[in-house]
Amino acid sequence: MSAVPASVVVVTVTQGAEPTVISTVGLTKHYGHVHALHDLDVEVGEGVTGLVGANGAGKSTLIKILLGLLEPTAGSARVLGHDIATAGEEIRRLVGYMPEHDCLPPDVSASEFVVHMARMSGLGRSAARERSADVLRHVGLDEERYRPMGGYSTGMKQRAKLAQALVHDPRLVFLDEPTNGLDPAARTDMLGLVRRIGSDFGIAVLVTSHLLGELEQVSDHVVVLDAGHLLRSSATGDFLEQTGRLLVEVIGGTEERDRFGEALAAAGLTCRPRGTTIAIEPPPAHLAVHDVVRDTAADLGLGLMRLQPDRRHLEDVFLDDAAPARGGARG
Amino acid sequence: MADQRAGVIHDLGYRHYDGPRDGVATIARTLFVTGLRHAFGLGRSGRSKILPFLLLGIAVVPAAVVVGVVTFLPVSELPLTYAGYTNQIQLVVSLFAAAQAPVLFSRDLRHRSIVLYLARPLPAHVLALTRWFSLTTALLVFMLLPALVLYVGGLLAGLDVGGQTVDLLKAVALLVLVAAMVAGITGFISSVSLRRGFAVVGSIVALVVVPGVVTAVQAIASEEGADEVGVAAGLASPWSLNSGLADAWGAGVTVFTPPTGAWVAAYVVVALLVAALGLAAIVARFLRVGSQ
Repeated sequence: MSAVPASVVVVTVTQGAEPTVISTVGLTKHYGHVHALHDLDVEVGEGVTGLVGANGAGKSTLIKILLGLLEPTAGSARVLGHDIATAGEEIRRLVGYMPEHDCLPPDVSASEFVVHMARMSGLGRSAARERSADVLRHVGLDEERYRPMGGYSTGMKQRAKLAQALVHDPRLVFLDEPTNGLDPAARTDMLGLVRRIGSDFGIAVLVTSHLLGELEQVSDHVVVLDAGHLLRSSATGDFLEQTGRLLVEVIGGTEERDRFGEALAAAGLTCRPRGTTIAIEPPPAHLAVHDVVRDTAADLGLGLMRLQPDRRHLEDVFLDDAAPARGGARG
Repeated sequence: MADQRAGVIHDLGYRHYDGPRDGVATIARTLFVTGLRHAFGLGRSGRSKILPFLLLGIAVVPAAVVVGVVTFLPVSELPLTYAGYTNQIQLVVSLFAAAQAPVLFSRDLRHRSIVLYLARPLPAHVLALTRWFSLTTALLVFMLLPALVLYVGGLLAGLDVGGQTVDLLKAVALLVLVAAMVAGITGFISSVSLRRGFAVVGSIVALVVVPGVVTAVQAIASEEGADEVGVAAGLASPWSLNSGLADAWGAGVTVFTPPTGAWVAAYVVVALLVAALGLAAIVARFLRVGSQ
């Protein structure tokens, strides 16, 4: 966090460097007695950064403060090298924002609306048209773009919202719950798009979600907020380190699972049921655990369905870290 | 070229934009022009154009008829002044303001697209100011157009240029004041009551019902010899302020209880206050919504 004052010259980004896109120091926002954000120190770099937290954890509040739409109660923040307190206008010129809630007028077409929004970001008439056509194609709105947005499905609305956030070619986009209300297929598409914005388009992304699993797939870095506190901030890979456990599953129901589990325990492995699977604790070094599992299944005549290393999920981190953080200590 | 003829679309990948970007002033001007066009339904659906242009027609046609009469009859002046004409069509102007203010003030707030504006360079107060300026200008155009028809027609019919020009300029000054007031009032009502129906009804109460009551009070006060009461009542609505000032200024409007002496100053101050307060309330409303 000591590098904060040095991150002033981020305006010209060179490829390969790791410039700070967002940095906050002691950022605090109180609404009366409600502490939406508490003494938050976060650094966000290029690429896709996931901002995770339960509803009400302060994700949207943080984005609004960074956009200059809300005044922080205390603390400071810089976005793309600009101070939020003094250079809000400059920040809003360089940043795109896709809000969580519905924000599209129903009686205009996506095409018209995105052109208008481009002009509101300072693009000239012809540049606005050209960029809108480009961006709408990138987000995957084809012929629908000429229809009034009132008739759009949720997926199409999310795409239109994303298009207006990208149309002025921002350096950074805030995507607030972009997958909200989407069916699984549309959700996958949207996550793919978020990934592409960060990698192919070269635009830094801060994407929020209350679904931790989603961000595993797309983000390079994850910031976890809990009740306005920073719970953890690290590269996605660090969250997903392998635990040394093994997960096994056999064909059948709980009866087969228990029978298999007991046999494994008898063979000297520590294991416990987890859903339909059995989690085997890291075995003693001398034991060839894979062979034991195979032989045990063969002996019992059970069909082995799954045998894989157990990876941690973001959910585990959240559950592990959340309890102490609420007590006041930060992770 | 061969590819283009075959209709192949190449995916060029994402292209960055490094062209010029307008400053706040230019963006505000773009928004102003868009707002002004939208107030008349231009750049919106065909249906949105019907009402504003119907009302504009109702406002202009009598002026054209007057011009016709003046051209064919040997008269030396118009049967009514420019300010008097505006006074005659105040109901139409009120309906136009009530119907079109929600287009500029309710839509963005109701559909919450306001957030998308506020996430862009224009600050909230500039946004509110620009919206208000669009509506004020639209109202001015709406009221000025028939006045100009009268003026040009009158001059072509050989009326005195000097006298007509003075009359017109007086009317324009009053129009600017009333447009600013009406835009402030209807703009604020529309930015608070986001359902279009409520906004229209609220504006009609403020611009039609209240002035009607004021006129009734003034008539009674005049009848009863209590002129002061009538003059004071005139402070209560934009139209009575306008017509009271027009009367006091000799702009060709007569009211039951014209303001005199210090009351004239009071009328001017209240009119300016109404416009300023309406504008301030709109700005406050936009700032509040922006931080939600």
